[in-house]
Amino acid sequence: MVMGMATGITMTEAPHALALVRLLQLVSPALPVGAYAYSQGLEQAVQAGWIRDEASAGDWITGLLEHNLGQLDAPLLLRLHRAWSHADHDQVDYWCRYLCAARETAELRSEDRQTGTALARLLVDLDCAAARAWVTHPDVNWPAMFALAAVHWQVPADTAALGYLWAWYENQVAAAIKLVPLGQTAGQRILVTCAARIPAIATAAAGCEDEDIGQLAAALVMASAWHETQYSRLFRS
Amino acid sequence: MNALPAMAPRHWPARLRLGFSVRAGETLLSERRHQGPLRVQRPFYPESREVCHVYLLHPPGGLVSGDELQIDIEVGRDAWALLTTPGAGKVYGSDGQGVRQQQTLRIARGGTLEWLPQEMILFDGARAELGTRVELEGDARFLGWEISCLGRPASHEPLRHGDLRQRFELWHDGRPLWLERSHYRDQSPVFTAAWGLRGHSVLGTLVCSPVAEGLAAGLREWLPPCDGALCAITQRDGVLLVRYLGDSAEQARNHLGTAWRWLREAVLGRHAVPPRIWNC
Repeated sequence: MVMGMATGITMTEAPHALALVRLLQLVSPALPVGAYAYSQGLEQAVQAGWIRDEASAGDWITGLLEHNLGQLDAPLLLRLHRAWSHADHDQVDYWCRYLCAARETAELRSEDRQTGTALARLLVDLDCAAARAWVTHPDVNWPAMFALAAVHWQVPADTAALGYLWAWYENQVAAAIKLVPLGQTAGQRILVTCAARIPAIATAAAGCEDEDIGQLAAALVMASAWHETQYSRLFRS
Repeated sequence: MNALPAMAPRHWPARLRLGFSVRAGETLLSERRHQGPLRVQRPFYPESREVCHVYLLHPPGGLVSGDELQIDIEVGRDAWALLTTPGAGKVYGSDGQGVRQQQTLRIARGGTLEWLPQEMILFDGARAELGTRVELEGDARFLGWEISCLGRPASHEPLRHGDLRQRFELWHDGRPLWLERSHYRDQSPVFTAAWGLRGHSVLGTLVCSPVAEGLAAGLREWLPPCDGALCAITQRDGVLLVRYLGDSAEQARNHLGTAWRWLREAVLGRHAVPPRIWNC
């Protein structure tokens, strides 16, 4: 540790500090992968009247974070992070395919492919050679490329999982602000209240056994499938 | 000579293994082995000798603590089998031990399996692991469904306690193609959440693979909506999915059955002949 002479503040050691800064880049809404274009069924849930206000938006997003992402995306992200760290390509392939097979609808599947491909391209441009083969890979997906980016930038698995969940969460709240609609302050209130649960969700994901991966969110899946034929829409999922 | 301990956990395994193969253009039930209370009746050929209809029977009529059922179906090269059950399956409330039912459906190159069991009713307090794993080889085809009733809809006794794990999986040449898993535990938010079951008790999923691009649009045009229930169709990675979420097993069967009739013609190229047992 290095003590700042003038302030007396102890700074985190350089490698960890750099990893954190890299993670902030990866989870930033400014990352050019088009994540803002996807609502993952939220637009249809608003259309159906299932989400009407701050409370119902918070319940929807937090519930899915815990029971859907916490039991599918996060456990798989951790497995993919380990596989990339060990350059274990068989495991990368296996968990990539697994994730694709677990995506419930055409839109959720194609969103994953599009954001995953965009991130793979970006990583190639940022000198991550391992991403090259994934630009055109049929099983490319968002969690797999997120895990690769984290490994490339030496972001530890647990921190990467927190960042992954946060990025999804912030994006969903941004979609709710546009769609319900909600005020900016209401959006920040949802983020503050429910984000407190992200660490526990990530910890639970780390303890998830292979056979416990995945939890069907039946109405979300219905909403996502209906969205495929929704006449007028702002979002691509 | 050693007496069993008085409180020995009950364990009652039952297995059924069926194999279908083709001889001279005819699908035969060429292998039939069972252990414990699982049976099949003699096969029927209500449409042609190419398609073998078989009814699976579990004479005790329901699963109780300690039951373990394993069903293995092998559809050989170019064979075509249609399997159904004469009545609903039941898993009763548990007195501690769980029950397991594992079904493995293997379909060889050129083979076709239609898997159309009636619903599985899970009583309040049930503890169960129910898994259906379909393994497709090459161009093998699968058209089937699973319908679950969480609690007894007729008596308005919903399932709110217990521990249920359900899996419905489709694998192709050793790789996962579609995976659906659910875990319902005591008082889980999944039962009532807006994104979950929304308080509904009957969930049905029909799966058809492989299907050509754009097939979902045709089925959407044709399949009527269900009053009071949520229904949706989607298609990804050559797998078409029809889902029902509502409160009536009969409505779920009718809805998925209607989709089955259309898909049988559109995908399997054969006019639908409903199993005789459905009408009685």
